[in-house]
Amino acid sequence: MAWLHRFTNLFRADRHSRDLDREMGFHLDERVDQLVTSGMTEREARREARRRFGNRGVMKERTRDADIVAWLDALAADIRQAFRALRANRGFAVVAVVSLALGIGANTAIFSLINAVMLRSLPVRHPETLLSVRMGGTDDVFTNPLWEQIRARGDVFGGAFAYGQARFNLAPAGEARNVDGEWVSGDYFRTLGVPATLGRTIDAADDVRGCPAIAVMSYGLWQTEFGGAQNAVGKTLMVNAHPYTVVGVVDRGYSGITVGQRSQLYLPICSEAVMDGPDNAIDNRSSWWLNVMVRPAAGSTAAQTAARLAAAAPDVMAATLPPDRPPQAQAEYLKQTLTVTPAASGVSQLRLQYTGALRVLMVVVALVLLIACANVANLLLARATVRQHEAAIRLALGAGRKRLVRQMLTEAIVLSLLGAALGVLFANWGARLLTSFLSVRGTAAWLDLAIDLRVLAFTSAVALLSGILFGLAPAWRSARTDPQAALKAQGRSVVGRSRRGVGWALVAGQVALSFVLLTSAGLLLSSFRNLTTTHAGFQRSGVLLVNVGLPDTSTSLPGTILERLRALPGVRSVAFSSMTPMSNRGENTFLVTDSYHPVRKRDGLTWVNHISEGYFSTIGTRLLRGRDIEASDRAGSSQVAIITQSVARKVFAAADPLGQQFRRPMGKQDSAPYEVIGVVEDTKFGSLRDSTGPVIYLPAAQADQPVQFFTVEIRSDIPPTTLIAGVKSVMAQLSPPASLQFTTLSEQVARSLSRDRLLATLATFFGGLALLLALIGLYGTMAYSVARRRNEIGIRIALGAARQRVVRMVVGEVIVVVITGLCVGVALAVVATRLVASFLFGLRASDPATWIASAAVLIGVALLAGAAPAWRAARMNPMMALREE
Amino acid sequence: MTRRQKNDILQGTLALLVLKTLAARGAMHGFAITAHIQSASSDLLRVEEGSLYPALHRMEQDGWVRAEWGTTEKNRQARYYSLTAAGRRQLAREEASWARLTDGVRRVLRYA
Repeated sequence: MAWLHRFTNLFRADRHSRDLDREMGFHLDERVDQLVTSGMTEREARREARRRFGNRGVMKERTRDADIVAWLDALAADIRQAFRALRANRGFAVVAVVSLALGIGANTAIFSLINAVMLRSLPVRHPETLLSVRMGGTDDVFTNPLWEQIRARGDVFGGAFAYGQARFNLAPAGEARNVDGEWVSGDYFRTLGVPATLGRTIDAADDVRGCPAIAVMSYGLWQTEFGGAQNAVGKTLMVNAHPYTVVGVVDRGYSGITVGQRSQLYLPICSEAVMDGPDNAIDNRSSWWLNVMVRPAAGSTAAQTAARLAAAAPDVMAATLPPDRPPQAQAEYLKQTLTVTPAASGVSQLRLQYTGALRVLMVVVALVLLIACANVANLLLARATVRQHEAAIRLALGAGRKRLVRQMLTEAIVLSLLGAALGVLFANWGARLLTSFLSVRGTAAWLDLAIDLRVLAFTSAVALLSGILFGLAPAWRSARTDPQAALKAQGRSVVGRSRRGVGWALVAGQVALSFVLLTSAGLLLSSFRNLTTTHAGFQRSGVLLVNVGLPDTSTSLPGTILERLRALPGVRSVAFSSMTPMSNRGENTFLVTDSYHPVRKRDGLTWVNHISEGYFSTIGTRLLRGRDIEASDRAGSSQVAIITQSVARKVFAAADPLGQQFRRPMGKQDSAPYEVIGVVEDTKFGSLRDSTGPVIYLPAAQADQPVQFFTVEIRSDIPPTTLIAGVKSVMAQLSPPASLQFTTLSEQVARSLSRDRLLATLATFFGGLALLLALIGLYGTMAYSVARRRNEIGIRIALGAARQRVVRMVVGEVIVVVITGLCVGVALAVVATRLVASFLFGLRASDPATWIASAAVLIGVALLAGAAPAWRAARMNPMMALREE
Repeated sequence: MTRRQKNDILQGTLALLVLKTLAARGAMHGFAITAHIQSASSDLLRVEEGSLYPALHRMEQDGWVRAEWGTTEKNRQARYYSLTAAGRRQLAREEASWARLTDGVRRVLRYA
């Protein structure tokens, strides 16, 4: 352990120096005593003693330097030797470095995602004291009246602010140009400690009732909209077709409070009244759109703040009770309590959705790295056996065994550091690619992927550990060489049975890990395929969706729009609705009949979609019974509704639903009755994973308010995107200031599956990579084993063994190893597949077809890998083998 | 120059002498080691302070001795060195090689 002492002494230099001082001081005192007893005076004795001691400083330095210099010298020599060895074996070096680069790079890429999504703190002042306020423990969205109540109790906190995620349309008319942004309260910037880089940020005076429409831009938006001009303050931006005055630009390093979203625009909450007009959410007690964060008051803890908040909760809830809810719901509302949770890394929908998936991926890439390390270890082992001769000579010449071990470890670590350097480049690109897979609420995520210290530390640690992992075995084997035996045998052995163990064990391990990865990939892939082909209750392909935002409400305009759009060439049918499947927007309602009063309030909850005629034929939902909406169902005529099958079964049981009536509870009383005129098949609305989607469809013409924001669906025979230009020109004529947003139904549905696509794609990619690495490892080990046993095989053939027996012998080894690996792999997979079980759809984690397929693939690949070496062994000319002595 | 040479020779054997001292007399501090070597060799050998502590440090690093702080009879703080198992083995090796060396030198000198 001498080297360990030396290494640690580098860091204990101070204490060491002090110790040495004390020790030498003692020695000096003793010497003085001795000289005094022999007759000198005290002063003379001291001078003599110090003269004898010489220069203490120099002595101390010599003691210390001898260590460091020797150590550094040896290290430098080892590194030079390592590079020389790598240059001499370029093929091996390239294979090893590339495999390591793939493994380490993949780990770094996933870790930098995890860092950006889960670990990094917000770039604000004291993020560790930020607390997110929640209702009832989990809900973190509030209404504005609730926020105002909380704000009024500001003496409980050291700072409180509210913010709301939003998308703002910067285009004054026509096709929308959306940016992510936030509604912010007056104390947002001050509490977070985020400064402005130009002009000023929003402050408390700006966030009062009736405030003017002002805005703060992000640095990025300032560059793109105004080219970074200094006179941007005071300019006007059209936001959702309303003019807003720019008052400042936020500091460059701040990109919003939500991980996964880059906020470009900050508007004061009070200006929402300007934007949404009479329908605004400022006093609306049922519109949930704000998140609230607080800091504890100076001197209080988070727990104390939580307690004070909980104490205030009953008054807060009572003051904001929404009037139009059934009494049961009202009672539940009043019982809600307020809690806090730490929010140092912000609140993030992205994090909630992807944490599980990222953890799975972390395990996957760790396994891939292990497989890559096993390959490199095998390669090094093979080389160590070849270099036994060289090691024996060095030992005979006097090198210490520990020195040999250290040198081989250095070689391994140099390899892994080279792999890490290459891997970081690859990881940079990979992380950006992965981010494009992430999307939240239908919009692509944005992450700050700057490589920071944590990621670099992680990469270095992984590289070092891998280097030690695959370098230890070969180094140990080298050091245990008996110089005499190795020199005598001249680097060859006729029967090398004992050496076989480690190499094959590594291959078996690779087979096991590959099985785990293949099975998981197979499960995730099947699950994703199930999701994309599941019966959703509508036809996805060939439908263009246009989200329309009219400048104000209108009863006749939507109908006119439909007529004009119907006339476009290639259009088969057109309709509009208030919701489309997987659009992350939705409206709910409750249902009651005379005989149906659900025990649990939740059971009576359904989606409600306001539709035009022709909706079902456009979206491709089958009408099972009754009729579709017709022109005669309009405002003033009796209210009708079409329900889905599951609603029919739930509410009306066995009875025929046609002609039946139901009501929607609206606060103190129920609505006027609706008559059921048709039943359609079940459709999935929120997500493809929903088991059923209870929906009621009401005619848009009979809605409480005339429409202003709706989605037009166009089914066409030609590719939907080719219709965009035509739609734009029609809308330009009918309503120039309307905002438009285009997408296709298939794209919208696909976006809702982004997390599953991420998992399936990456699991398959890494499963394939692992298989490739295992194949290379298997082939290499087999070929090497055959090459080493040339003598033995040659003798066997010369003595009369049939070629077939030789092949069987070789292939038999492979089969044994693969079977062992598979058994271990099955055991590991039982645990591992439990990790992915929660992501699966339409199949269980123990799906036998997938497991059997993975095993079959592995066995097939292993046989393939073994085929070439076995063939070569069988075709060997025994005379050639024996002659090569 | 000559000074360096004198130190070098003694350095090679200094480790041997220190190890033997500790084996014979148990745990001792640095000053006592030099006193013992001087008296046991009947003043023929004297250890330079400048070479003692570097040598002791090196031996501690190599794991042949271990050191602990203790108190002397005069109530002063001193570092006591004692032999480890590895040190004992090293002592045996060094004694053997020293015996070989002197034997060889003696034979050459006897050759007249």
